[in-house]
Amino acid sequence: MDSETVRRVALLARLELSEEEIESYSKDLSEILDHFSLLDELEGLEDYGFNPVEVADVLRDDEPGQDIPAEDLMKDMDTYQDYVRGPRLS
Amino acid sequence: MNASRLEAIRELDRDYGMFYSLSEDAALESAEFHFSAKDNLTTVDHETTAGSRMLSGWRPPFDAAAVESLRGAGGALLGKTSMDEFGFGTFSVNSAFAVPRNPHDRERSCGGSSGGAACAAALIDGHISLGVSTGGSVSCPAAFCGVVGFTPTYGRVSRHGLLDYGSSLDKVGMLSADCASIAERFPLMAGPDRRDPTSCGHPEHSERSAARTVGVPKQSLQGIPEDVLAVFNEALEVVRGDMGLDVVEVDIPVFNYAQPAYYIIATSEASTNLARYGGMRYGARGEDLDTHFDRYFRQVRSAGFGGEAKRRILLGTFTRMVGYRDRYYLKALQVRQALIAEYRRAFASCDLLLAPTMPFVAPRFDEVEAMSPLEIYLADHLTIPPNLAGMPHISLPCGELDGMPLGMQFTADHWHEDRLLKAGVEWDRRSEYPVPEARA
Amino acid sequence: MRIGLEIHVQLPTRSKMFCSCPTDGGPPNSAVCPTCLGMPGSRPTLNRAALEMGLRLAKLFDCQVPERTWFARKTYFYPDLAKHYQVTQHDNPVGEHGAFDFRGKEVRIRRVHLEEDPGSIRRAGRPGEELSLVDYNRSGMPLVEIVTEPDLSSPAEARQFLSDMLTEIRHTIGLSGEGEQTVRADCNISVGEERVEVKNVTGLKNMERALKYEAVRQTKMLRSRRPVLRETRRYDEERKVTVAVRKKEFEEDYGYIGEPDLGVFHIRAMAEELENKETPLERARRLELQYGLAESTARQLVNTSMRLCDLFERMAADLGAKVALNVTGQVSGPWFHVKDSFDQSMEDAVFEAAEEFWRDGITDSELTIRLSKILGTHVTVEETLGLDVEDSSVKDRIGLNEAVEKAVEENPGIFEDYAKNERAANRLIGEVKKSTGGTFSSQEIVAAVKARLSQGP
Repeated sequence: MDSETVRRVALLARLELSEEEIESYSKDLSEILDHFSLLDELEGLEDYGFNPVEVADVLRDDEPGQDIPAEDLMKDMDTYQDYVRGPRLS
Repeated sequence: MNASRLEAIRELDRDYGMFYSLSEDAALESAEFHFSAKDNLTTVDHETTAGSRMLSGWRPPFDAAAVESLRGAGGALLGKTSMDEFGFGTFSVNSAFAVPRNPHDRERSCGGSSGGAACAAALIDGHISLGVSTGGSVSCPAAFCGVVGFTPTYGRVSRHGLLDYGSSLDKVGMLSADCASIAERFPLMAGPDRRDPTSCGHPEHSERSAARTVGVPKQSLQGIPEDVLAVFNEALEVVRGDMGLDVVEVDIPVFNYAQPAYYIIATSEASTNLARYGGMRYGARGEDLDTHFDRYFRQVRSAGFGGEAKRRILLGTFTRMVGYRDRYYLKALQVRQALIAEYRRAFASCDLLLAPTMPFVAPRFDEVEAMSPLEIYLADHLTIPPNLAGMPHISLPCGELDGMPLGMQFTADHWHEDRLLKAGVEWDRRSEYPVPEARA
Repeated sequence: MRIGLEIHVQLPTRSKMFCSCPTDGGPPNSAVCPTCLGMPGSRPTLNRAALEMGLRLAKLFDCQVPERTWFARKTYFYPDLAKHYQVTQHDNPVGEHGAFDFRGKEVRIRRVHLEEDPGSIRRAGRPGEELSLVDYNRSGMPLVEIVTEPDLSSPAEARQFLSDMLTEIRHTIGLSGEGEQTVRADCNISVGEERVEVKNVTGLKNMERALKYEAVRQTKMLRSRRPVLRETRRYDEERKVTVAVRKKEFEEDYGYIGEPDLGVFHIRAMAEELENKETPLERARRLELQYGLAESTARQLVNTSMRLCDLFERMAADLGAKVALNVTGQVSGPWFHVKDSFDQSMEDAVFEAAEEFWRDGITDSELTIRLSKILGTHVTVEETLGLDVEDSSVKDRIGLNEAVEKAVEENPGIFEDYAKNERAANRLIGEVKKSTGGTFSSQEIVAAVKARLSQGP
């Protein structure tokens, strides 16, 4: 992974990296990706799933309810008039 | 647990650093049994940080399902055990807090990422540690610390309250000085939980006949150092002789591709799971909200995550990007499916698989320091296949090398935990497990 | 001109999509739990009702329903998005490759998928440097997104299309009338080669305005040989213009992965079990064919009430369409006021009266009196409007409303014209002015005409 790619990926992942970090991640990740190219040897695979065991049709009935009172969840948050304070939008 | 024993544990913790936090004595007096939880399992009465500065000070509003069920059965939580940040590591050195030290040699690593859990299991009499395994984080430290480490099938134990690393890989497991204690307590936490759909797909826990045939995948012996192999072969003789099991060789070619597939899936999922940490609702906060949100999130995340967490976030963000997603992420999912199919074929001719747990004994900290990230990732190549495939497995102490414990790992087919535990209890009876000098 | 729409409709479930929090709001951050706050250790569970509604809509639009569906994580960072990824659908959504018969024209439906809504943001502070204040009550609300192919050819057509579509959606999933105001759409429009996306437009009226503005803007650009940029714009409701959304410092890559926390769902089998009732527009078409009703009459009937249609069909079957239409017309006048108390015994009484009329047992005016007795109302304009007839100013207004109503009847195409161009109202205003001869001020007349036109036929 060249340093330009590391920069782009860091932007996407919202990480701020120093030049030194970019250099060292670029080196490590290139090595790791080179190793990953081992997978290119495997061809003709089609089946895939998102879980290693079958997890199917697990549904919840449409019954409203709250296990934990909202006040308890909000009590440690930084709020203003019950709204959670967040950073600037522009 | 009386005050003097608790003080002795505190003393040990000062030397070995296995706990992130310890309970006050009052609650522990009348308990039926004591257990600890890896610090990526939520607890209402303890901070839960997953070894990350990002969550320093966070007090969750609910208990993890596994913690809840052990408490419900009369267990008392002794403390939260130290770990690699979010489970990202093989040696428990990637923590923002204390690094646990090996109970058999304090200059060596406990293994990881459930290092503190294994250490506590080795040092505290009759103790049960809740660990979490994504790619081997229970087996590896169990082997390095000379204890039993059990990882059930993916979905067998609810992940409610588990701070996610790889959501399709994470499994709550148990570590203890012997398998009998695990076999006794494991049923308490196994079973479906409506709060975690992935725990709702499995069949009833049922008793199966004991294993008769053990398969040794030939791929798992490739590249193992001679001295490690010699200890393993001796253990294999006991399995064949004393335990009276048939031992056959099996061929699982996809084994060799499991390691890259695992790291791709694990980091792809981890990089989304860790996206939520942005300094707004819990854990670390940024200095000034009067900052554009992109910059604010960048500042919080850069200060809150350690080096290995950043490396894995970068890797996992890359492997799911447009243009790379098919080559890495999708391919890795396919490899996992192929591996599961090969496991199925292997389990047609044997009941359990057996292999060494780790290719070496617990390394010294200076040796860990000298390893490159890729070398560290490669060290997991024996623990990764069952973890990637969601197969239950157990690491048992199987001898020593240069005074340090070695482990061997049984793997069973999905949902066949009972066979593993039976074999483990048999092994308990037939072997002498290493006992560290310091105990409480 | 080619227009395609991405329509977001909130599903009328009682609990949220991936957690049990109630959907009926409340003070900020009162309907929240660890899951919709994105807390570590929490995870989603899928609401069966939301999935079923998604499937009903996929069926409504004749979509192909795959054997299995699953969810995906769409990662991006914004202060209102609790987990910094949205649980949505990417591959294998609940429906694909469907179509909607829009007044004889086939509009292709590319896909129907389910997703969660982010929280909502209140902006606070100086413009341009506002802090965000986040309310997570909306976080995790169930949405369906319906994506059309660019098969629509004018802003007016897009509005009519969406209006028809909403009629069908409302009926299919039991959405209340307010759904129409809260529908959000992303609109793609290209006059020439390049496509412009106008994001996040709320409501039918704004959508048409935004599209019109964009159509004119692009046409002007092309005429003066300036390039239309492929870009994302937003609609400024205050100024009634579209404006380019400022480019981000870098392009987002959503990095879709499968959502491992939910598993898969065998939806084809589920969809086969679900039976959609006949929709209002399907019924209107059938009424036209079966009873020879005019298109506008049939539509008016289904738009008023499907219950009223039942009454119409019951009468039409035994007494013929003519009598049925006469009686239904008289019941539909005060329908708004009687619909909640209109039970089976009232229906039977209406039917009996109609039957007597059909046998020539009673006259036309006797029928009218009988009906008004059954319905417990005098079928008069003042009653319909719920006004106090003793108040003289009200009497005046009744006079004005009657004049407006008369003008509407004399201009059958007025609603359609008005939908295309609001200036069509001027025609009615002129006529009402003439017929009332200076009794009412211009302002009063304009207000009354506009109020009537916005009610629809």
